[in-house]
Amino acid sequence: MIVRRLRILAITCCLLCLPVGNAVADLVVVVNARCGVAAMTRNEVINIFFGRYRQFFNGREAQPVDLVDAHPDRARFYAKLVGKDLSEVNAYWSRQVFSGRMQPPQKVATPEEALKWVTSNPCGIGFSELAKADARVKVVYELSP
Amino acid sequence: MLAAFGLALPAMPVLADDGQGVFSLQGFGTLGAARTNSDQVEFVRDISQPRGTTTKWDGRVDSVLGLQANWRVMPELEAVVQAVTRYRYDRTFTPEIAWAYLKYDPSAHFSFRAGRLGTEFFMLADSRLVGYSYLTVRPVGDYFWYLPFSSIDGGDVLMTVPVGENLLRAKLFYGISDGYIPRAEEQWKIDGSPMTGAYVEYLLPSWVVRLSYANIKFKRSLPIAGEFSALPPAAFAPDDAASSLDYLETAGTRSHYYSLGAVYDNGPWQLQFMLNHVDQGSKAFESSTAGYALAGYRIGSVTPFVGYSWVDSDRRQDRVNQVVAVVAANSRSVQETTILGARWDVARNIALKAQWDAIRGDASSIFPYRREQSDWRGKLDVFSLTMDFVF
Repeated sequence: MIVRRLRILAITCCLLCLPVGNAVADLVVVVNARCGVAAMTRNEVINIFFGRYRQFFNGREAQPVDLVDAHPDRARFYAKLVGKDLSEVNAYWSRQVFSGRMQPPQKVATPEEALKWVTSNPCGIGFSELAKADARVKVVYELSP
Repeated sequence: MLAAFGLALPAMPVLADDGQGVFSLQGFGTLGAARTNSDQVEFVRDISQPRGTTTKWDGRVDSVLGLQANWRVMPELEAVVQAVTRYRYDRTFTPEIAWAYLKYDPSAHFSFRAGRLGTEFFMLADSRLVGYSYLTVRPVGDYFWYLPFSSIDGGDVLMTVPVGENLLRAKLFYGISDGYIPRAEEQWKIDGSPMTGAYVEYLLPSWVVRLSYANIKFKRSLPIAGEFSALPPAAFAPDDAASSLDYLETAGTRSHYYSLGAVYDNGPWQLQFMLNHVDQGSKAFESSTAGYALAGYRIGSVTPFVGYSWVDSDRRQDRVNQVVAVVAANSRSVQETTILGARWDVARNIALKAQWDAIRGDASSIFPYRREQSDWRGKLDVFSLTMDFVF
């Protein structure tokens, strides 16, 4: 718990120290490079992150990962993808969960953990800043700034 | 099976080795207060509630607490139990196992569930109790009042097929209903009544459009025999009473529910358009047509919304006698409602809402209410405040 708090504090400090240009760096959707997905449309990204359909066009099952609310990238991601506040995204998931349809994607605390998830699951899919996406992942969709 | 769930759950590890939760406990709730400007009728959330609110603030109408346990037995198999406490047909808050089922997802295309399930008679009907999940303080009354059926014991199958970049979803469900509908001082048991239904849904990035159909075949008669036997024989011959009861029979009759709904959700806008028609098999009830339009626009963390709904029931022409006419008239609803309100997402997973419902109807519109007085004129303003949360 303390480690997590320190981590959040550290991240917040880093974010505050970053120049403005980096703080609003472009977010991209990344998929494990070995999954065989080269590009996705906005619609396909929505279908996977909102749990509507959990398969890529090549027939492989998507394993999405999300960030916790406390991380600012989560709010930026949904604002850019669907123009929604986190409260609206959470309301959507409460409808899915309590009507027994499905559970939301697994959440992790940091983009680093998200990238780890993406690379350690055969068809992991997540989002991160473009600069953090390395060769192990494929950038399949860029969110317009 | 329920007992097995209850015993097995606490023993399960909370986290698996890979960090993904196997067992989760989540909840939802609403603390609400509602009042009206009239003592002529009691206002209820839906017809499952035996008493309602008048000119004094009342917490019974909207307050609810739900707890849900999910246990992922295997990646494709999940067990879910949901318990809910709310003001119910017997005037208590006795907790109930609302849902308890096994869900099996063998692929992205199919999902099967079996056990006690929520009913999706109309779009959004299976999340009616989860206030945090929608804009208004409660599901739009004119549209959802007639749905006291909250769960069935049975099964459903959901099929998802991609159509280009969009998705087509279809669901089929069948089960035996379980529940009571309060009627005057008695309760009408609808347990044992089989329900069947299906819907087809088309999902675009911002729109979801759904066409649905369901029916219920009532197993039991309405508890109205007493009303006939209470009449003096001089006024009402026993033979007439018997033939009237035959005429009003509900056992063995089937009611049909048709609906068309469209929901738009993109950026700050949320729009809903719904239409339904209920075709009642028994002459004890009037068939009805209802609809609503609702629009919300988020500004910061506040989403003001405005809506309009109406319901219109078809008066039955073939009344046998006065008593029959009175019973049939009990299911009459002819009114329209203008809704104005706002939802404020005040903190993470907590929303505060305030809403005004201006109901303008006919004096004969009594089905949605309790204890209507003779001076009821069909006009009612309802004021509601709620705090909705999930955890």
